[in-house]
Amino acid sequence: MIDKTIKRKHYLLFIAGGLTAIFFLALFNKTIHYTSTNEFCASCHVHPHAEAEWKLSIHHNTPSGVSVNCVDCHLPPEDQQLRFVTRKAYHGMYDLYAYLTLDAEEIDWAEKRSREASKRFVYEDGCKKCHTNMFPSTLNALGAESHLKYLRDPDNTSCLQCHQGVGHYRGEIGLTLEAESNTGPQEIYTSLTEITKFSNFDEKLPGTSVSFNMLAIPGGQFNMGTPTSEPYRQIDEGPVREVVVDSFWIAEIEVSWNEYLAFFRATVSQGRKEAIETDEETDGISGATPPWGAPDQGWGKGTRPAITMTHLGAETYCRWLTSVTGRKYRLPTEAEWEYAARGGTNSPYFFDGSPNDFESDGFWNKLFGADTSVINSYAIYLENSPVKTQPPLRVQANPFGLKNMLGNVAEFCLDYYDPSVYAKYPKGVVSNPRGPRNGLEHVIRGGSYNNSAKDLRVGRRDFTKTKEWLVTDPQIPKSIWWYSDCKNVGFRVVCEYNPKQINSEKDKK
Amino acid sequence: MEKNQFSRRSFLEKTALIGAAGVVGMGVISSCNSKSKIVEYAFPPLLDKAPDGKKLRAGLVGCGNRGTGAALNFLAAGNDLELVALADVFEDKVWDCRTKLNKQRVEVPEANCFWGFDGYKSLLEVDLDIVILATPPHFRPEHFDACVQAKKHVFLEKPVCVDPVGARQIIATSKKAENIGLTVITGTQRRHQRDYLETYKQVASGAIGDIKAAKAWWLQTHVWFRTREEGWSDMEYMLRNWNNFNWLCGDHILDTHVHNIDIINWFVGKHPQEAIGFGGRQRRLTGDQYDFFSIDFEFGDGVFSHSMSRQIDDCANTLGERIIGTEGYTNCKNTIYNPDGSVKWRYDYPKNKDGRSTEVVKVSPYVQEHIHLVTSIRTNSPVVEAERTAISTLTAIMARTAAYTGQKVTWEDMLNSTEKLGPDKYEMGSVNMEFPVPIPGTQHKA
Repeated sequence: MIDKTIKRKHYLLFIAGGLTAIFFLALFNKTIHYTSTNEFCASCHVHPHAEAEWKLSIHHNTPSGVSVNCVDCHLPPEDQQLRFVTRKAYHGMYDLYAYLTLDAEEIDWAEKRSREASKRFVYEDGCKKCHTNMFPSTLNALGAESHLKYLRDPDNTSCLQCHQGVGHYRGEIGLTLEAESNTGPQEIYTSLTEITKFSNFDEKLPGTSVSFNMLAIPGGQFNMGTPTSEPYRQIDEGPVREVVVDSFWIAEIEVSWNEYLAFFRATVSQGRKEAIETDEETDGISGATPPWGAPDQGWGKGTRPAITMTHLGAETYCRWLTSVTGRKYRLPTEAEWEYAARGGTNSPYFFDGSPNDFESDGFWNKLFGADTSVINSYAIYLENSPVKTQPPLRVQANPFGLKNMLGNVAEFCLDYYDPSVYAKYPKGVVSNPRGPRNGLEHVIRGGSYNNSAKDLRVGRRDFTKTKEWLVTDPQIPKSIWWYSDCKNVGFRVVCEYNPKQINSEKDKK
Repeated sequence: MEKNQFSRRSFLEKTALIGAAGVVGMGVISSCNSKSKIVEYAFPPLLDKAPDGKKLRAGLVGCGNRGTGAALNFLAAGNDLELVALADVFEDKVWDCRTKLNKQRVEVPEANCFWGFDGYKSLLEVDLDIVILATPPHFRPEHFDACVQAKKHVFLEKPVCVDPVGARQIIATSKKAENIGLTVITGTQRRHQRDYLETYKQVASGAIGDIKAAKAWWLQTHVWFRTREEGWSDMEYMLRNWNNFNWLCGDHILDTHVHNIDIINWFVGKHPQEAIGFGGRQRRLTGDQYDFFSIDFEFGDGVFSHSMSRQIDDCANTLGERIIGTEGYTNCKNTIYNPDGSVKWRYDYPKNKDGRSTEVVKVSPYVQEHIHLVTSIRTNSPVVEAERTAISTLTAIMARTAAYTGQKVTWEDMLNSTEKLGPDKYEMGSVNMEFPVPIPGTQHKA
């Protein structure tokens, strides 16, 4: 008996609950529908101009008499139920907030007409719900091309990109079709950059599309060499000397393949004459012979640093650059290189940290790995290269704005190498010191993609190994232009600063 | 007698047709291999003749030898097929074609003969159901779109364009045609050739295992050319010698080799992702095209295809396709080989009176493709082949670009390329174009 009553009560409760649910659902549906009418939107949307523009637009003033409502574009289609309800709630809350707190006069309506802004409150699924046929037979060629592009890459294209003003009349703007711009060949420079003062400039090579950035480095005094306290210091890095260098320009990045190939194209010589010839009839410079195989090692050319050219090739490049630009280009002296690389700092690197922190040969780092995030952001080296050169934009610059002074590729200097040259410099503060007058091998400075942290130290010195680097060159005589067995050395150019010359050029103007 | 009469014969034909149509688009299971797979491919109904039905009237645009041939192939496809209009850029070509057709007892009304660059527009105003487009491929994208806008079924000769912009136009127009239920058949006759189709079924159901590599080649003697005659303007000369100008022809890697490329794309089941290749010019007397191409196509997943095309006399001239799989290889046309070279399967050709194989399919593939066209229309089962042929043409354009520029060219490059060949407007007279032979390593200026 009791059981029965309880059971009946349960039934009643169940039925009552069901009825309530249906009632609320109906109410909810009604609410949804009521709050989705144009009138409801307009009741608190304080933009009468928007309504007026919509009435004039081709989505209301249609030849067929079909009118498209606010929510058809400004909310996702209703059949995407969850998204529809959540976006509706979001926009509702936002509009209520705006209605209560913002002054309609102060709202930047023009901003909201931009394509970027429209992404916040126009739903493309709404467009596609009605416009199901993207290829009507009357579609013109540009439309067809654009719709194909939309199918291919919906993330970077949108309906509104071309079909602007379709929801709100903005005058007869028609389709804002963007015919794909023909990128075509790059600009070919016709004239040199004029220099009137000692500041950074973009060197443009006439007759090519190649340019590179030269940074003005004001001269100054610094400590050249590595203090004995620095970990991994080698004997040839000292003694530390006080050195003064004059102002000069130096390239922001290592000479790229784009730059080196411009030289190669302009000066390439027929074959293996193996002697530096000057040909008065042409530009006076006979450049490199064609290399065998792929001098870029298949890693890519473009802005990656040029590699495998000999020191002679690098010097000849500078002579060519001088003849093309009328400005004195050359390799940096060892002192200029170190001054530029230090950028006013006095530590093992131009950034914070000691080689001990980054090297993984210490006990601690062997166990736990080295924290290399700092060095990672400033240099392409063994740990992040993966064993090849990289485009220069990947790293941050040093305090002078120079990129990859310590990594990517090591760099030729102008001076011959002498392990004890610092001690041989004249006593006191040395001004613009140079290496020995004669020698066989040249100085190389800076680390490369193939070096670990200890060899990226600013003070570290290295030198060319001509014989070793030509071991596998199968021809006799071996090339004077291309190393067969050295892949991690390139170079950076310096342009001499001559105040008198610039001033006289200024006077001429 | 009466058209509406329900004859027993037509009933039988129709039932047979329903059976044939049932094959279209459905899976075909081959029992040849233990690891048989379902083949997903829309096989054409391989009827000997199109079913009877409503009269279909066709117009021909491009009255050269191939156009005239295509028109006759169309007429041979079934009953109640008529050719009612002709258009060509040159008047003499139109009358020439009309005379040739007359000899085959095909009468085209004089009033329906049009010429000039806009001749095709006049032709579209004639009461027609089908348009056969057989002009130089340069004009195909524009003509095709006009036909679809006029709601005509179309037969498109290959190649279907000469540049990436044209390829994308064809793809878009192809989608338009699908949307309004038109039928578009392309002149890729190997795809309508019974031996190729059977071999494809074998390969697709696993007869050679997984496809690893392919090669395709079209090596032949030099092809026709016209030297300039007195009184010909620049435009007239180029049009009359169209097969030797890149902007009109697309070079022979499109014109002929696209057939082989289409087969490889078909069998491999996709188009290549990139191409590196080379080519050159040694023997040609006119125009701006190459004599030979050698292209390496990369399909991804380690699958590659070597494509060769050449037009030089007295060389090892031959053509064909080969596809290598993990469990054998095939010539794509009629034979499956085991890895050791022994024959695993061979297409069973019809036999002659002596019981010997004729080595020829029963119905010429050039007619078979028109049977497909007419059947699709009359059974209201539309087929649009234009997009896949545009993809094969674009594959050939990718290869040509790789050879002309010396660069690696990717499919993405092709989809984004704005290269559009040819003059800005079409009119007889002098044309301000230069025709440097492409030099690899430099930007090709078309």
